[in-house]
Amino acid sequence: MAFSIIDRGTFTSDGTAQKIELPSSADYFVVNNLTQAAKTQTTGRGIKFEWFPELTDGYALRTGKENSANTTEVTTVTSGGFIYRTARPEPEAAVTGTAITAASPAVVSAVGHGYSVGDRVRAYGTTGMLQIAGMDFTVTAVGSADLFTIGYLDASGFAAAATAGTFRRLPEDAEVTPEALYITKITKAASAVVTFSVEHNYQVGQLVTLTVPSEFGMVEMDGLTGKVTAVSSANNTITVDIDSTAFTTFAFPASADAEGNFASAAPAGQRNTYDVDNVPFKSGQFVPYMYLAAGAQSPAGSTSDVIVWEAHKAET
Amino acid sequence: MTITNISNMAPELPLQFSEDLLSTPMFNLIHGFGADEHYADAHMGKTTRMSRYERLDTDGGLLDGSGIDPAAEAISRTDIDAEMEIYAKTVIVNEQVTLFENDKVLTKFTALLGQWLREKEDLLMRDLFASSASYLSATGGINGDNPTEISRNDVDNIERVLLGKDARTMLSNVEAMDKFGTGPVRDGFIALCNTDITPDLQNVSGVLLTNAYPSQKDIRPEEYCSISRFRFFVSSKGIKESSSSLLGANIYKIPMFGMEAVAKIEQNTYSAVMGYRPPHVVSSVAQNSQLYAKFAIARAITNQNWLSGLKVTQRL
Repeated sequence: MAFSIIDRGTFTSDGTAQKIELPSSADYFVVNNLTQAAKTQTTGRGIKFEWFPELTDGYALRTGKENSANTTEVTTVTSGGFIYRTARPEPEAAVTGTAITAASPAVVSAVGHGYSVGDRVRAYGTTGMLQIAGMDFTVTAVGSADLFTIGYLDASGFAAAATAGTFRRLPEDAEVTPEALYITKITKAASAVVTFSVEHNYQVGQLVTLTVPSEFGMVEMDGLTGKVTAVSSANNTITVDIDSTAFTTFAFPASADAEGNFASAAPAGQRNTYDVDNVPFKSGQFVPYMYLAAGAQSPAGSTSDVIVWEAHKAET
Repeated sequence: MTITNISNMAPELPLQFSEDLLSTPMFNLIHGFGADEHYADAHMGKTTRMSRYERLDTDGGLLDGSGIDPAAEAISRTDIDAEMEIYAKTVIVNEQVTLFENDKVLTKFTALLGQWLREKEDLLMRDLFASSASYLSATGGINGDNPTEISRNDVDNIERVLLGKDARTMLSNVEAMDKFGTGPVRDGFIALCNTDITPDLQNVSGVLLTNAYPSQKDIRPEEYCSISRFRFFVSSKGIKESSSSLLGANIYKIPMFGMEAVAKIEQNTYSAVMGYRPPHVVSSVAQNSQLYAKFAIARAITNQNWLSGLKVTQRL
């Protein structure tokens, strides 16, 4: 059976996993690490990774330089390889946590969580901290294999730490963008600053409609639409042209009073400022795509590695 | 006595084809019909902009006889953008299938592509509802989860939210008639939900199942019941989030909305394109032919204030 190449490309690894969108379904995918292939390896190192539809998620056929004589060997990688997606994935299997600190930022204890910075996780069953049960968070730091930080939650005002919790990693992309997001903080200011629980994709000039349930205090904000005047990716905030100086202070309810509602912001168009590329409603995901794990024995390689990839399709 | 039976004389043809084909499953298409329809012309760019002039402030305005004019108010306009996207599906058929199959396969395959086209469109609209709206958790149920199963108080609360933001109902009332067991149906907002929660809908106080409507005229088969000010439509593909409740149960989102809350934009001449590529085009030896279907769609939330909804779990 002959193959036709359907797309190819190159990237320089930043040491993180890569997602490569494909123009159609693929039957063969290959990655060559040009940087590492050009070097003499003293320890085993993957330089070429191949994928076939028959491989399980996370697997790859690896060709590596195994010693300083540059002997090559083909092995099967059983984790940290490729994941081929033809549809939006379901939330991953649950990870059980044992604590969430009542601190800023909040830190989660969950043995063997397996999460990386930037992952989006949903928390529920957060005993003692039920005011965040059901909320999604971005992992902002990974302290260890058993600790991760949900940096956009200031839990320092909470009465108690959580003594349990369950977490599920979610697909990184929304079905449609811009999307509605949960709010963890709104300041009282001439121009209110809104912090989101997950990394936002709002743009300056965009309008957002805010929903603030009564148990979150700042009820005056409920139903208002504001224009985004500034965006901070470092703090994951937007500044809106709503004067909240005289509003009631925003605060999460006590754990015992939590009703499962969250303050949220939803996209509401734009006014006077136009960002035709980023603001329109459109699909937030593109499938199919190939997910490449990063690392010395993985297809996305290590920082500064130059990677060339090709996607092929079997001819009918 | 020797009997000629089917053991010693089996039918020449042991199988016959019933031309009455069995039904192909098709889910209820509920996510598009409540949307405002807009049309995009060709050669006019990829993004459609829908604009809304905002109402004027009603404060002040009294002329005190001094001859001083009231302060002028700047008109404000909100623009909602939606990007056109094209989706396609294709089937390639070998000539031996059309030659040997008992059924008229090309006709049937074309019908399947047509079904795919409308189902895909419905799911795209569902995804818009799923990711770009704010939902409140049901709290009036008794299943001990968070959110709970749906209750009358929760439904009434969403009516309060929508009416408080001046949303308009979409469906006209069904006047009472002198028929035993029926009751009048108020003009209503639309609610869309997953078929998994139909048992819970039947338990909500004041529910009126469609068979108890005074008239069945113009009732869509997807409609399940009326509760308070909402007419509920159900689909097996209604929004469902896996294991996200406090107790780890599935959460169902029920979009509840009024007139002009969402928009579906069709590209003129591209809302449903079906085609056939003959064998001499598809295959060098003229053995394969191809059928395809494609459509263009853009979608947007046009007024977040007129779209709300509930998050619920099952009572079970």
